[in-house]
Amino acid sequence: MQGLKQYLSVRRSLAHIGSYWIDLSIQIGGISFLLVDTLRCLFRTKLRWTATVDQMFKIGFTSLPLVFLTALFTGIVLALQSAYQLKLFGAQQFTSDLVALSMCRELGPVLTAMVVAGRVGASIAAEIGTMKVTEQIDALRALATDPVRYLVVPRFIAAFFMLFVLTIYADIVGMLGGWAIAVFKLDINSHQYIKRAFTVLMFKDVFTGLIKAFAFGAIISIVGCYHGLKSYGGAEGVGKATTTAVVSALILIIAMDALFTAIFYFF
Amino acid sequence: MIKINGLHKWFGSNHVLNDVNLEIRDGETLVIIGRSGVGKSVLLKLIAGILDPDNGQILVDGTDIVTLGASGLDAFRLRLGMLFQGAALFDSLNVRGNVGFSLYEHTRLSEPEIRKKVEEKLALVGLRNIQELMPAELSGGMKKRVGLARAICNDPKVILYDEPTTGLDPINSDVINNLILRMQKKLGVTSIVVTHDMTSAYKVANRIAMLHEGRIIGTGTVDDIRNTSDILIRQFITGTADPET
Ligand SMILES: Nc1ncnc2c1ncn2[C@@H]1O[C@H](COP(=O)(O)OP(=O)(O)O)[C@@H](O)[C@H]1O
Ligand SMILES: [Mg+2]
Repeated sequence: MQGLKQYLSVRRSLAHIGSYWIDLSIQIGGISFLLVDTLRCLFRTKLRWTATVDQMFKIGFTSLPLVFLTALFTGIVLALQSAYQLKLFGAQQFTSDLVALSMCRELGPVLTAMVVAGRVGASIAAEIGTMKVTEQIDALRALATDPVRYLVVPRFIAAFFMLFVLTIYADIVGMLGGWAIAVFKLDINSHQYIKRAFTVLMFKDVFTGLIKAFAFGAIISIVGCYHGLKSYGGAEGVGKATTTAVVSALILIIAMDALFTAIFYFF
Repeated sequence: MIKINGLHKWFGSNHVLNDVNLEIRDGETLVIIGRSGVGKSVLLKLIAGILDPDNGQILVDGTDIVTLGASGLDAFRLRLGMLFQGAALFDSLNVRGNVGFSLYEHTRLSEPEIRKKVEEKLALVGLRNIQELMPAELSGGMKKRVGLARAICNDPKVILYDEPTTGLDPINSDVINNLILRMQKKLGVTSIVVTHDMTSAYKVANRIAMLHEGRIIGTGTVDDIRNTSDILIRQFITGTADPET
């Protein structure tokens, strides 16, 4: 009874939300510092090309199947849901417009970022976190090597560009999913579907989606690295860092998405 | 010469180092002894500039490394070798990548030159034909020795050893002790050795300092320490627990 009362107390819940926000703001402060440091290293010091290409492969190529499935099913669902609504107005041929616009403007970038945050963000945090708790980060410093230059910068560049590539891939796959449903299930003419999609898609739609993709790539890599570098206290600390990294990355992706959408809407 | 003045380090409310004063002369081997968790590793990391002190100075040849910027600190670290307590080998690199790390990162030596140098340093710690192995394939003692080879690979002037013989069998411990002595005699290296192992301490030390409750409670030559009347130091070197605990 006492326990239940505690959970139902409004003050407690508000305090809980409040302390979460304080935590998050502290994190955002630290994450911004790391971002600035990363950009400084990126432009001022020699890049590690091999490591960067390696990370591109790890982040980009190995995420392809996951992104493929997510985008395909999203395209299918989008087509079915919009056809269901549009049928009421006898406007089923607009399915094409809806799928293309939602995929490129919103769902392509956001869903790709979310699945990649779960997969890549977690692995970055776990890998760097393990290096931290086993003193490998200290060893890098002792060997006169900046961990930001050595570890963070290659992951940052790789995630930055790979999210862009993966998002284009997701856009295409999603539209293909929509197309397959439209043609084989909704009896929409294939030629017409494709033509509509290409006419309705403006440069701006694709462009704003891809700008988001770059930002999400930056978020995933920096947040993963930040929590990895901050982890402390053995295997348990690494586990904590990994979960926190994924959760903060997801929250920041959604917040950033809202911000970008608002900016693009008004300007 | 390294001179530590009034060094303080807190972790949250844990006051690990509370006014540490210590002097390490050029070319000498200073052994720091003290119980687990007293802050010996923290002290070494402060000297290497890996951690920042909350107060105090660490003067290396007159320059305070605490106030040094990133590039100055890196220049100092290129003349410094550090062996970590857990070896801290990079999991993603093989033994050659680990030992030759600073050669690959900070010199323009060719691959064959680096291989030769790595081979040499590995031979010094009594290891052969393991350049291609990954750290996960090594035993604990081998890791430690590879870590030591990495620490000495750039021919440092100052070497910090964090428990170099812990986890090694007596024979290999003696190999490491001899190596520490040889680095000093042949190359004039200044060393700070943190250890629990009194056999090793007596063998390699010029002077011994004991860290206790955040302070250096005594320093002296090997003979001074052996014949000390200080009860805490006596307890430690003879390995007797407090009757109450
Ligand atoms: N990065 C850190 N964050 C918080 N506490 C730490 C950190 N590193 C060491 N400590 C604490 O400092 C104390 C001294 O640790 P350490 O120097 O490793 O002891 P030892 O003398 O055994 O080497 C311990 O209580 C340890 O918990
Ligand atoms: Mg220690």
